[in-house]
Amino acid sequence: MSPKLPEETSSMSRKFLTVLASTTLAGLALAAPASAADVLFLAEDVPAGLNYDGPAAAIPTSQTGMVNVMEPLVYYATKEVNSEGVSIPDFGKFEGRLAESWTFDKATLTWTFKLRAGVKGCGGATLTADDVLYTFARAKSVSGAAPIGWFLSNVGSIANFTPAVFGDKEENKKAKVLGDEVTKVDDLTVKIRQAEPNALFLPVLTIFGLMIFDKETMEKHATKEDPWSHNFVNNEGMGSFGAYCIERWTKDNEFALTANPDYYRGKPAIDRVVMKKVPQSSNRVVVLQSGQAQLAQSLTPKEYDSLRKAPGVKVGGHSGNQNLFVHMNFKSKPFDNIKVRQAIAYAIPYDAIIANGYFGQASAWAGVVPSTYPGYSAAAEPYKTDIAKAKALLAEAGFPDGKGLEAFADSFALSYVAEKETTVGPIVNAIQSSLREAGFPVTLNPMPQTQYGDRQLVKKDLPFAINEQEKPIGVDAGYATQLFFVSGDKGGLNNMINYSNPMVDDTWAKARVEPDNAKRDAMLASIQKQLMSDVAWLPVVEYKTQFAWSDKISGIGWHPDNSIRFFDLKGK
Amino acid sequence: MSESLAVADHIEPAGADWLFRIGGAIVALVLFLAAFGPTLAPYNPTLTTPEVSSPPPALADLPRLILTAIVSKNTAPVHWFGTDASGLDIFSRVISAPRIDLTIALVANGLSLLLGISIGLLCGYFRNLGTEIIMRVSDVLQSFPVFISAMILVALGGRSIGNIVIALAALYTPIYIRLTRAEVMGQKVRGYVEAARAIGNGEAMIAIKHVLPNSLTPALIQSSVTVGFAILLTAGLSFVGAGVQPPTPEWGLMISTGANQIVLGEWWPSVFPGIAISITVFGFAVLGNALERRYAAG
Amino acid sequence: MLLRTILRRLAVGVVQLLGLTVAVFFLIRLMPADPVSRFVGINPSKAAYAQAAKAIGVDRPISTQLLHYLGLAPSQGKGLLQGNLGTSWVSNAPVLKDIATALPVTLELITMAFIIALIIAVPIGMLAALRPGGKTDKAVFVYGLFAGSQPEFWWALLFVFVFYFKLGIAPPPLGLINPMNSPPPPRTGFYTIDSLLAGDLTTFFDLLHHLMLPVATLVFILSGPIIKMVRQNMEQALTADFVLYARAAGMPGSTVARYALRAAMAPSMTLIGILYGFMLGGAVLVESVFSLPGIGQYAVRSILAFDYPAIQGVVLVITAISLVVYLLLDLLHAIIDPRLAQE
Repeated sequence: MSPKLPEETSSMSRKFLTVLASTTLAGLALAAPASAADVLFLAEDVPAGLNYDGPAAAIPTSQTGMVNVMEPLVYYATKEVNSEGVSIPDFGKFEGRLAESWTFDKATLTWTFKLRAGVKGCGGATLTADDVLYTFARAKSVSGAAPIGWFLSNVGSIANFTPAVFGDKEENKKAKVLGDEVTKVDDLTVKIRQAEPNALFLPVLTIFGLMIFDKETMEKHATKEDPWSHNFVNNEGMGSFGAYCIERWTKDNEFALTANPDYYRGKPAIDRVVMKKVPQSSNRVVVLQSGQAQLAQSLTPKEYDSLRKAPGVKVGGHSGNQNLFVHMNFKSKPFDNIKVRQAIAYAIPYDAIIANGYFGQASAWAGVVPSTYPGYSAAAEPYKTDIAKAKALLAEAGFPDGKGLEAFADSFALSYVAEKETTVGPIVNAIQSSLREAGFPVTLNPMPQTQYGDRQLVKKDLPFAINEQEKPIGVDAGYATQLFFVSGDKGGLNNMINYSNPMVDDTWAKARVEPDNAKRDAMLASIQKQLMSDVAWLPVVEYKTQFAWSDKISGIGWHPDNSIRFFDLKGK
Repeated sequence: MSESLAVADHIEPAGADWLFRIGGAIVALVLFLAAFGPTLAPYNPTLTTPEVSSPPPALADLPRLILTAIVSKNTAPVHWFGTDASGLDIFSRVISAPRIDLTIALVANGLSLLLGISIGLLCGYFRNLGTEIIMRVSDVLQSFPVFISAMILVALGGRSIGNIVIALAALYTPIYIRLTRAEVMGQKVRGYVEAARAIGNGEAMIAIKHVLPNSLTPALIQSSVTVGFAILLTAGLSFVGAGVQPPTPEWGLMISTGANQIVLGEWWPSVFPGIAISITVFGFAVLGNALERRYAAG
Repeated sequence: MLLRTILRRLAVGVVQLLGLTVAVFFLIRLMPADPVSRFVGINPSKAAYAQAAKAIGVDRPISTQLLHYLGLAPSQGKGLLQGNLGTSWVSNAPVLKDIATALPVTLELITMAFIIALIIAVPIGMLAALRPGGKTDKAVFVYGLFAGSQPEFWWALLFVFVFYFKLGIAPPPLGLINPMNSPPPPRTGFYTIDSLLAGDLTTFFDLLHHLMLPVATLVFILSGPIIKMVRQNMEQALTADFVLYARAAGMPGSTVARYALRAAMAPSMTLIGILYGFMLGGAVLVESVFSLPGIGQYAVRSILAFDYPAIQGVVLVITAISLVVYLLLDLLHAIIDPRLAQE
């Protein structure tokens, strides 16, 4: 252990002092500064894993774990603090995190990152270029259950991160090894080469799935069968340079973090954060109200609304990238008929959904890409509720008053995620009642998240559904387009509705490698216009991501992954 | 058998009679609602109304509201039990639910009774390796965690009334098998069986014509209790998210969706259906108990 | 004689569990969702899908998977025979470890509830039986019927509303201990025992405080059938020939009551055992209201997530416990009433 100056507030000495104070000088402990406060954070679950290449990577609460104990190379600068006290990132402006600065050479498509000196992780290791190389080598090894690191590198067009890595043939094995696309210049300088120009490069580096590992700690936990320490980060701990260190982690129960005293942006204001699993959102409300907890997330809009009036509690949020849309599968009759899709668009009770489903914390959505994302274009007027028009369209489609639709009973089972029942319930009930009025024989079909995910992502056979969980992790209209609307065989990985339009496919193929941002935006706008006129998705609302916190803390920040960064928090 | 006779003597007195009447009245009311509840409901139990989360009228207003409801036909019906977070009328849902809850309970019970008695007769009358295996399987089914197996079954087939019926029937069948088998084994050694055999009846004939009618009592008595528990179990399944599909009017589902609002001070979405279950299952328990006492003795 | 019975029962039990394991193995594979999809949320490409399927081993032929699970395919790794229940796909932890964490919570809850319910219900049931048809008897009878037919989750919610929300006597429904406190060092897995072993009385009382409402809910529900059964059995015993004889022989009332109680215990034990087995899985509703991380919650979560190894493990463990409880009951029976051992 290195000798510490008395002025330094290391966790060791602080802990010692606290113990001393509480045993001999009880009065002093009470006089401890408010900044040393603990925060109890109530969530629907605790991280099931911290491995972004592991099985838990897609779970939001696991991501919350990752972003608090890991650190990216670059991140978005803060744009402002909104009227509700929530800080908002600026998607147009990047700032260095583990990287102090960077340059880009257009001729060779090479980025050179200068790393920050003296950055220390929880394990005591110091950041070097080797850690960055380790991170990309691990991603390229595609050795985990869900190769997210490779995927993001591929999305950002980092050279040689191609699908050739998958498989057990000799050439696949070779492709899994990190080559000259990521190289070390010196201890604090790294070069990363792209295969083609791609505006998504910096955005993917901000995402949890490319945060930097601490090679030294990770390798300490490597075994012969598990050279990339997947088990360690799946189940036990983390080697990185994040703001917090893991004190205790009991899956399905709690996740306790202590501030990393050596964190390079300064020691976090909150010493200790305990993330506690409280499955029922109403229980989270109760405890927050009682003052025993300081922070809660994933409440229902109704609960947030009631907490707005509660003493000692603040509620705030930001309409960043969460939205709700109706999913109608082009492969399921009668949704292949545009008149039917339009009729449904006019029969959705938008205002009732905003009022009774979101308590006013949502707004109409006139596009199919989050309106805060670069490249978004409001391509049309948002749809309005007009039952008469819906009925007319339905008649035009050949189903006057819904006659003939009974044959498609299976298609009109409106699916949604059962675990979201408390939030989505009032919305689907309103939709069902309104669509029935217009003549659609709608029934409700809640199913477990896993089953919904399977049918949406893998089988792509959900005919009719409410989706309120798609937030494209690449903060860019182009990324969203590619993910959701490009034909399945042309890279539309999450084209859940089997939409296919050559105009969209071709325009995106050009926009993807277009270096001029203005031209790229124009192409993206034409795509979005097409999507809206095809009613590819039926956008309903964009809603606020909300949080509730005790007035004893402040400084909540909204981030595109909707995970709270505990470092943002301040005591009072 | 002499003890149960004695017990029946003890508890049968007048005191139990009023209880029996209460039980009968509750069950009759529930049956009536199962038949006419949806027709009597002032609102469609599955369609939303514009009033969301509106509380039930205050007690003091009730007489006036009842009067207005009788006198004028033009005003919108009162939400007697308030509305839930979706704007569904709770009163309409509570009185429409018996049709669903009772159908599930009765059909599941009937199905398992039929299966259980047949298998029980088989296993009690013919004792060989085959029936022994059936009994061991039935043992496992019985020690199988009820909720977990019901959840798996519902997960297999999806949330629908039919699948819940099947899940419940699978759970109750082993109970009937056991009861019937025990009774059959007792009846088998009675004199009348020997007599029937002596006249030259075939074994299958004896089993069905003579032993079966004499072995039904325990299973039938059990079934009156089981109906009530089937309602509880259906509600419990809805509570853990493996019950009927929303917005089907079903008490457990209503409690489950209302549970979240309790801490916001909105007690009515879950309290009224809770009272309904509480009373209904109690009614069936009382009736079942009375039947048990009346017929177990005789 | 007794030993042979036990051994035979155990042997049958093992065969039953094996059959169950194989049946459940195939049953859950019929479920309408592909578990692999959970892992590919962000990158649902074919290659990533194949990678995930390989990682959890569902790309292998189903017979290989079964043999591996049973532990009959040493090349694939450890299985049931080697005491390995596989790894949960949700928690990534060995299923056995998950269950070892969750099971004690449920056992603690229901054991406590059973003990208290017995302490309350047995004297009440006996009291009622002493004067059959009396006012107490009637009241007890109605109470027994009522409590035995109630939706426990609804009462749990009411209790939370009244005792926590309105009166503030109970702690929030947030699990076993105050979330800001550390759990006692795990030795047995049972928090009450562990906190006592560690000499940590604060945690111990915190635990009791948190268990207050869930235990009260279960005691209320359980007291119904127990009272009913004790009352009935006691009445039967009091009118049995040997009691009549004892009375006629002029034995003191207390001695007679003791005889009767003993005779009434045997059938009551059966019911209690069956109830206990039922509550192992049935406590899930109460666990869910009070956020107790018990075995029921673990099962529900596993089923909703289509977590095959976890579902299999839970079913196997709970059924095994139930079978053992039934076996113990029969043994107890034999001890209380030696006549039964002769059968």
